Amino acid sequence: MNQFTFTGREKMVLMFFMALGAICLAATYFVEPATMVVMNHGHEETVSTHHMRFWSNFLQNVVFFLGMAFTAMFGYCAFITAYGGWFSGMKRLWEAYALWMGVGLIMMLILIAGVWMHWHHLYHWNAHGVTDINDPHYDEIIAGKAPFLNKYWYTFATLICVGVYVFITMRIRSLSVAEDNGVKGDYSYHNKMRGWMAAFLPWGAFTSAILIWQWMMSVDAHWYSTMYAWNVTASFFVGLLSMTVLMLIYLKSRGYFVYVTENHMHDIGKYLFGFSVFWTYTWFSQYMLIWYSNNGEETIYFLTRRDQYPILFYGNLVLNFALPFLILIRNSSKRKFGTIGLVAAITFFGHWFDMFYLIKPGALINIAGSNDAATALGSVTGYALPGLLELGTFLGFTAMFIYFTFSKLSEAALAPTNDPYIGESVTHHVI
Amino acid sequence: MEGHKDVLYGLYNDEDVLMDAITKAQKDHLDIHDVFTPFPVHGLDDVMGLSESRLHIAGFVYGALGTLTAFLFMTWVFTRDWPIIFGGKPYWSVPAFIPITFELTVLFSCVGMVVTYYTVCGMGPGADNPTLDDRITDDKFCLSFNVSNSSKDEIESLKGFLTESGAEETNIKTI
Amino acid sequence: MSHHPIISPLRHTLITGDKTYHDITEDICAPSEKVPSTAWVIAFILSVTVLGFGVFCILWTIWMGIGTWNLNRTIGWGWDITNFVWWIGIGHAGTLISAILLLFRQKWRTGVNRAAEAMTIFAVMCAGLFPLIHMGRLWLGFFIFPYPNTRGPLWVNFNSPLLWDVFAISTYFTVSLLFWYTGLVPDLATLRDRSKGLRRKIYSFVAFGWTGSAKHWQRFESLSLILAGIATPLVLSVHTIVSFDFATSVIPGWHTTIFPPYFVAGAIFSGFAMVLTLMIITRKVLKLEDYITMQHIESMNKVIVLTATMVGVAYLTELFISWYSQYPYEQFAFYNRATGIYFWSYVGMMGCNVLVPQIFWVEKYRRNITLTFFMSIFINIGMWFERFVIIVTTLARDYLPSSWSYYVPTWVEIGIYIGTFGLFFTLYLLFTRVAPVVAIAEVKSILKTSGSQYTGVVNRKAVDYKEAAVEADHVHVGHEHH
Repeated sequence: MNQFTFTGREKMVLMFFMALGAICLAATYFVEPATMVVMNHGHEETVSTHHMRFWSNFLQNVVFFLGMAFTAMFGYCAFITAYGGWFSGMKRLWEAYALWMGVGLIMMLILIAGVWMHWHHLYHWNAHGVTDINDPHYDEIIAGKAPFLNKYWYTFATLICVGVYVFITMRIRSLSVAEDNGVKGDYSYHNKMRGWMAAFLPWGAFTSAILIWQWMMSVDAHWYSTMYAWNVTASFFVGLLSMTVLMLIYLKSRGYFVYVTENHMHDIGKYLFGFSVFWTYTWFSQYMLIWYSNNGEETIYFLTRRDQYPILFYGNLVLNFALPFLILIRNSSKRKFGTIGLVAAITFFGHWFDMFYLIKPGALINIAGSNDAATALGSVTGYALPGLLELGTFLGFTAMFIYFTFSKLSEAALAPTNDPYIGESVTHHVI
Repeated sequence: MEGHKDVLYGLYNDEDVLMDAITKAQKDHLDIHDVFTPFPVHGLDDVMGLSESRLHIAGFVYGALGTLTAFLFMTWVFTRDWPIIFGGKPYWSVPAFIPITFELTVLFSCVGMVVTYYTVCGMGPGADNPTLDDRITDDKFCLSFNVSNSSKDEIESLKGFLTESGAEETNIKTI
Repeated sequence: MSHHPIISPLRHTLITGDKTYHDITEDICAPSEKVPSTAWVIAFILSVTVLGFGVFCILWTIWMGIGTWNLNRTIGWGWDITNFVWWIGIGHAGTLISAILLLFRQKWRTGVNRAAEAMTIFAVMCAGLFPLIHMGRLWLGFFIFPYPNTRGPLWVNFNSPLLWDVFAISTYFTVSLLFWYTGLVPDLATLRDRSKGLRRKIYSFVAFGWTGSAKHWQRFESLSLILAGIATPLVLSVHTIVSFDFATSVIPGWHTTIFPPYFVAGAIFSGFAMVLTLMIITRKVLKLEDYITMQHIESMNKVIVLTATMVGVAYLTELFISWYSQYPYEQFAFYNRATGIYFWSYVGMMGCNVLVPQIFWVEKYRRNITLTFFMSIFINIGMWFERFVIIVTTLARDYLPSSWSYYVPTWVEIGIYIGTFGLFFTLYLLFTRVAPVVAIAEVKSILKTSGSQYTGVVNRKAVDYKEAAVEADHVHVGHEHH
């Protein structure tokens, strides 16, 4: 069973969920009222919602899945560069994930088009007049940031950075597939791959932060934190590991990846545990430093989230720290598919939830026009907590991601039989 | 009180030969006294059928104790015993307690585990556990049988087993 | 039946010279069993002399008062805290190598972990000196511990990052010491079993009655793994907490959320550089080239280039966000670092830490020992500049331009810093005499997977990987249907 077949039944099920997701996403476009009445500076004001619920859902899911695909490539490069032999047996899975970046880039084009055409109001820096000193909406801070926060740079950086990711990913993928048919013992493909991988690592490290600031942090255009990008990247990576656990459990139940055993799962479990802790570490460092020094313009970010959205704020920590930490701390729970599968399901949802927590409060403020006005609105459907439509959208995106992964898996042999480390991988034994 | 015992042991030159010998001894239902090696041999505990070490459970308990000690103590100091406001923070400022709580968790867990480890192994400063051969900490792998109550024939047959399974030397030592 | 898993043909040799187990014992025990060489004696006398000068400077400070240092408003922290952070950073490599690399199953750690851990302990001792002296009244140093007292009882301020430091560093020191010593015990037993008379008595005492029993090894391995699991977040936490000393404040240039991981990356970076400096000398002088091979040096250089790039990302992030913040004080802090009176330290930091280490992308340079040696020293100079930039450059330009000043250290401050080198090298030299510098048992445990007679495409008997994969596949399928 070295060749994956994407069955008709799987296609049907995934198509169903994709359709469901599309319906849910489309529904958010229409169910949200076109205008809202907010209290701004003591008087009532009617503001347009600019279909914010739809666009923020779209941004959240696009970025989450694109980020996971990016960390798949980044992790793959890191493992191979560091001689991680155990990983070879499942590298085809991560290659398939990484290729999703192409799809993610296309989706980003929709958001970019939205920036140019003013379809959405995700980014306040893109609003009319904020950088014009003669305009009543002039915002001095945003005007100062304009050399970075502008539609040209947003477009350019996205295209160049992600474009290079996709290019290198495709190079590596084609070398990896070519290696299968190469001469036995010829490791020149592997060495070429290592070269590309070494190039990807610094490029990815430098540019991913820029993209995360632009795509996500600038939703709260005034606020900034140097830790933000590392925290979000950790979130993506845990999401990816969770997806991998769930996917392997499913694929193994279908009889594939037999040589990926509980020993490999143990290692993925260690990463899942370790990066959940790392995510918490970055979360805590960021939160504690801002809480401690108590600068108004910084604390407002966490104050809003903690007091207005306690379920998001604390739920995030429960899902992404407390539960995985307590369950995975035992070695045996990393080896039992049922237990680790449960944790993976929690953290997969959890980090999607984290994206929601990061984006939505800022999105609501962008509609309302100010923090106070957003606070006065109270719980707004689709912002305070993920509603059914958000969950449906999430399922749709997940189904699409899986559909894509399966179709890429079916394009090459599952076991890279000519990989120099495959022998180590199939006989891998932890402890 | 533990008396002296006579131990018959064989010295092997290679860990793979030793492991095969252990497997064979178990097949023959021989009662192994102990196995000594110069370094941790991968898979030896599986071959010998040793039960998993429970040190990690002790470590978790010590760690939890450290967590509680640190967190509850700081809570008591700053909410009951001597509440002080620092930098406009609340008395019970949880984020500021986390670093010390973490450090004490680690400290309790590590110190506790190391002490437990030496205690259960019967080791410690100046402990003088008898060793069978000086070369065990160099390059010899040792398989030993307790022959205190064995007859001469039994000893001979065990000796035969050791030689046959690849031991380079056999010897009896009273420890 | 083979007990050894398949090893990739691309795995590198980590023990050269076709060693046997006995060779390993002989080679590694040799330095501590022979009469010290002249070089060692000279080095030792030199170190002790320097240490003596350091002690003199410390006593001078205590006797005359902290006014013998050039600290003054607004520069309340100068060389002292710079040196403290620098040494603590260096003290990260040991536990990192033994803990994180153990978790990542990097076999090359066995060649360098023992010496690196010892170095960690000595570096932490050097680091700890500075805050203690800086407190002024050293004899009241015990005030930093929370104990019931007659002053209220007035407790220490648990909300202060400086107190977190006390806990972090004392925990780190304790745990590193336990971890190091636990690993050392089996090797001390080796020395014990090779010696006679009084020497045997001493080594028997310190070897804790180690026998090498299978059950003890099992517990030993379990303990090492758990300690590694706990020490990993501990290593991260120590420099994180050091960074909190700065980042919890509201001082522009200090208050930035990336400080924790950025300090940790910098610590690993400088720690590895110091390990390289020491290992390159040690392997030569103690003739351990077969155990600390070119492969070890290359692996460490890879870690160097990785962490150099990480601190590079962090430097640029700070720089960018200081502009992005649109907060004039923040922007000035960084403008001042790059172009102000202390611009040379910024240049030193960027040059030594980010730019120059990039040469290690090239394999040829990674495998050049002379170059590596100079680079390792360069990097530690660069990392010293980093701390100097953060501390002194920032403090020399306060909010009030009327209090702006230029700080230079006095001979006392310089003397204490030099003295810590004396302490460090005295301890390290003693260590090389009394204990095995390379972990004997651990090196033996990787012999059959990484020894020169077992590794390499040429030497190994060819293993058919393709068939192995298919076979494994087959076995598992068969097993599941069974």
